[in-house]
Amino acid sequence: MKIGFIGLGVMGEPMARHLRAAGHDLALWARRPESAAALVAEGVPLCATPAELAAHSEVVITIVTASADVEALAFGPNGLAAGFVPGAIHVDMSTIAPATARALAARYAERGIGWVDAPVSGGGRGARDATLAIMAGAEDETLARVRPLFEVLGKRIVHIGPPGAGQVAKACNQMIMVSTIQACAEAVRLANAHGVDVAAVRQALMGGSAGSKVLEVMGAKMVERDFAAGIEARLHHKDFAILMDEAAKLGAPLPVAAQVWQQLNALMGAGWGRDDTASLLRVLEP
Amino acid sequence: MDVGFIGLGLMGRPMALNLIKAGQRVHVWSRRRESMQPLLDAGAGDCASAAEVARQASITISMVADAPDVEQVTLGADGIADGASAGHIHIDMSTIAPAAAQSIAARLAARGIIALDAPVSGGEPGAIAGTLTIMVGGDADACARVQPLFAAMGKSITRIGEAGAGQVAKACNQIITGVGVASVAEALNFAARSGVDGARVREALLGGFAYSRILENHGQRMLARNFKPGFKAWMHQKDVRIVMDEAHRLGLALPMTAATMQLFNAMAGSGLGEDDSVAMLELFERMSGGAGE
Repeated sequence: MKIGFIGLGVMGEPMARHLRAAGHDLALWARRPESAAALVAEGVPLCATPAELAAHSEVVITIVTASADVEALAFGPNGLAAGFVPGAIHVDMSTIAPATARALAARYAERGIGWVDAPVSGGGRGARDATLAIMAGAEDETLARVRPLFEVLGKRIVHIGPPGAGQVAKACNQMIMVSTIQACAEAVRLANAHGVDVAAVRQALMGGSAGSKVLEVMGAKMVERDFAAGIEARLHHKDFAILMDEAAKLGAPLPVAAQVWQQLNALMGAGWGRDDTASLLRVLEP
Repeated sequence: MDVGFIGLGLMGRPMALNLIKAGQRVHVWSRRRESMQPLLDAGAGDCASAAEVARQASITISMVADAPDVEQVTLGADGIADGASAGHIHIDMSTIAPAAAQSIAARLAARGIIALDAPVSGGEPGAIAGTLTIMVGGDADACARVQPLFAAMGKSITRIGEAGAGQVAKACNQIITGVGVASVAEALNFAARSGVDGARVREALLGGFAYSRILENHGQRMLARNFKPGFKAWMHQKDVRIVMDEAHRLGLALPMTAATMQLFNAMAGSGLGEDDSVAMLELFERMSGGAGE
């Protein structure tokens, strides 16, 4: 399949490579061309604008930072919409607001262009190992066409519902994950305060009901006091603003998430936004 | 003085009436014509647009719901900027984000208009009685020039600082009142569920360090189960959201306000949004298995 790819970051680059390795015909656009340099050196064509990329592609995959970035890529000047032919599909794998995803899907639908919101969970490691969890919001027939691509990138692919539904699932994912990171940080802080060996505590807990992926991965980073980013905390902070804002609009009380959000604010204020979210431990050590 | 007034709702209407009572010539326009009628009956000038209001007056006041509404009436089509002449003063008394107030002030300044942000505290009773607390951000000379207008609407008038500073003070006000309403409701629910008369608890506490205006006024309305607005819970929710968005932007932890915002979310989501904030008592009762008696 002719695939355009935008967003060659920690997540995007290994994803693009998996698609290429699976035999797809890949092309790129990059806001900062240097981010595409490695793939271009291997012979992957680089287009001058998103519109040009869209004109060459059956499917364009984007994985970028914010709602505004995706909107600009899609409908900004020389955006994807200007290049897509009817029947093409924009697959956005970024984490953005469900409302933005719904609005973009509706605008594309008017032009006969398909939309899939397909945010992922699993981090840089999941992207490299092609074991991402993919949460899709799309019409059935649209998803059916891109499902083979998702099978190259991830292990668990779930169709949540219509456009926007994938982002709702991702918001739930972020809420559980970061709240769990906070809980692990508090446990580590408590064990430290008692002067108990935190590595031993973590090891014991991994075997019981408190065991989790977060305790395994982020817990280990806290025990090692390794705060170098896997996923930069500022991205979780951004995700929380989206989900708390939507909760307010919907009238949904999220008391624990609200507190976690404040700890993330404190983390940002301390200047650790580009470190790992395991830095929530450091917020507890003022 | 010729004064324009836009936004004749629960707060704006009595504020504009107080300006007329103080002898000001008031000119009004509203999207909904019926909301203008009480002012026209009191002798206000009838305008066809915000721009026309600005042509009739050297000072305009807006009292609307949120930042997009302020942008619309000031900088939108047929807005105040389209009718104002150089040196015009615009006073926005709505509650909006400090950053939005700064941005609007800068864009108005570029069109020769001096902008003041002057949000208020005191609710509808304060607006009717002309006893509002007014927190002003913006140019000191302009603030001094409009003092007679503020004096007609409010009692305590404080210039906080430059553009946006009034809204920062209002945000602080919303932190304290939002958390305050929640804590008074929590205490009164606790008293009732402990089998104790909340009215007596309030009476006793009014003499001590837990005294506050909120315990006095809001507490009284909670005990009387008078949930009629006043200040609607969804409006309070909106104001607290502004505070939380600023905290997010600044990298600032506001744990108490964050908890309170979730309670307002719960009110909005469970049919209490149109009631006064004091209906938070009802929310707590539902969360703890019903009323105490």
